Amino acid sequence: MTQGALIFAFDNDHIDYVAMAAWSAENIRRHLGIPVAVITDREDVKGFDCIIHCDRGSHNHRWFGDFETQMPWHNHARADAYRLSPWDQTLLLDADYVVASDQLRCVLDSSQDFLAHRWARDVTGKNDFSGLNYFGDNRMPMWWATVIMFRRCTHAELIFSTMAMVRDHWTHYRHLYKNPIVSYRNDHALTIALGVVNGHTLDHAGIPWSLASVVPEYRLTRVDTDRYRVDFVNQENQSRWVEIRDQDFHAMGKKHLGDMIASHT
Amino acid sequence: MPVTHERGYLIPAVDSESVDYLRCAVQLARSIRHWHPDANITALTVKSCHDPVFDHVIPLPHGDLGGYCNDWQVFQASPYRQTIKLEADMIAASPLDHWWTIFEKRDVVVSLGARDFYDQPAESRYYRKIFDLNDLPDVYNAITYWRLSATAKEFFDLVRLIFKHWPEYKTLLKFPEESPSTDVVYAMAARIMGPESVTLPQGLGPSIVHMKRHIIPTTSHDWTQELIWETDPFRINTVAQWGLVHYHVKDWALHG
Repeated sequence: MTQGALIFAFDNDHIDYVAMAAWSAENIRRHLGIPVAVITDREDVKGFDCIIHCDRGSHNHRWFGDFETQMPWHNHARADAYRLSPWDQTLLLDADYVVASDQLRCVLDSSQDFLAHRWARDVTGKNDFSGLNYFGDNRMPMWWATVIMFRRCTHAELIFSTMAMVRDHWTHYRHLYKNPIVSYRNDHALTIALGVVNGHTLDHAGIPWSLASVVPEYRLTRVDTDRYRVDFVNQENQSRWVEIRDQDFHAMGKKHLGDMIASHT
Repeated sequence: MPVTHERGYLIPAVDSESVDYLRCAVQLARSIRHWHPDANITALTVKSCHDPVFDHVIPLPHGDLGGYCNDWQVFQASPYRQTIKLEADMIAASPLDHWWTIFEKRDVVVSLGARDFYDQPAESRYYRKIFDLNDLPDVYNAITYWRLSATAKEFFDLVRLIFKHWPEYKTLLKFPEESPSTDVVYAMAARIMGPESVTLPQGLGPSIVHMKRHIIPTTSHDWTQELIWETDPFRINTVAQWGLVHYHVKDWALHG
């Protein structure tokens, strides 16, 4: 059985997702000891064990708070991960997910067919994420597509094919779930797909810890290997910082992560 | 009322000026029969009803005392040795009979907490401020079990006393309601007897899906106009429902 990570990396004018993915690939190999495949439309790609070229497909525009601008967001292909993955067991990661520990090893070792995070949390504790862990006007509890482990099996295939169905009929599903966000989002499609595949219930095994997250308004810097500093302003408007050490996290602000990678490599 | 069966569901259904609770009760009884054709179901009402969905239709032993104040009569009225009392404006979205096994070792169980239609614990305390201010247990009388026992008699005697002497009992509370609601009265009775004697630990027993606006949340009172719902199976915004759904919009029962 083959086992490996998979990262989608479609650049836009401001964000070099391929560089992020290459940096992440080093971390993944160092901590998890598994090969890394990238799915991209760029030709000049290095640093991966497997390179899969794929059309980026249609795209959204979304507001990137850290860049303070609207940008293209090429996120449509993720629903095709099952079809595109070269591995029997795949760890599908966002390019901005920072692997700084071997904690995902226990996800790979689990006997589940499909796992994702149900909850995300702010590493600083400042925000309760009550908005980010739900979507739509009626607060549908959301699954995060940032980290997904899946095995090649009918169950996972159904989930991804349902995600693709939601993506291909996004306007319908957006209205069905009273989702005011016009742009297609993989987290929302995954949530809907898991509901459909699991008999329209919200019961699904999840990764048994919450997704540590650094929101775009915080400043993220690298202190040392697997040590990061997050500077933020607390509720009392005082500057504070926390250090993340030997702990994976989702760097939601691409600018700081991109700058950090550019200065490190 | 003499005991006729060991176990059964009792649905109080006394109409108010604006709500035909008997019609709601028929709807609830039909939904229970869908899952349990042989269930014993009794309606407790002041109206005449010949709907065969009920095994018994019995009058309130002490007549209509008005509004919520009838509730204590359920203990005397029930024809069952073990009773699950259900509020009328609910629908059974799945089998319920495993509840008997959960309840049968206890004398009284009043349900604790509520859920939203995603089956998540209701987080909003909008409707429960008086409970929080007075440190009352978060009980919902919508599902109440008892077996004929001294504990159950004591509980319903207390409920009767609190309703009857509300002007005195309400002085025990911060920011009391002018007219007592059944949940507050049950909560006071539970507090007096000790909540552990009439409730199960949170999460162990069944709880209702509460469709009130601040819990779901919707922008308007009438969720049936805002959310997408399907019957058979009963789903709300595509999410399959289970247990009892307190639909709250009373005339929805006519279409459900």
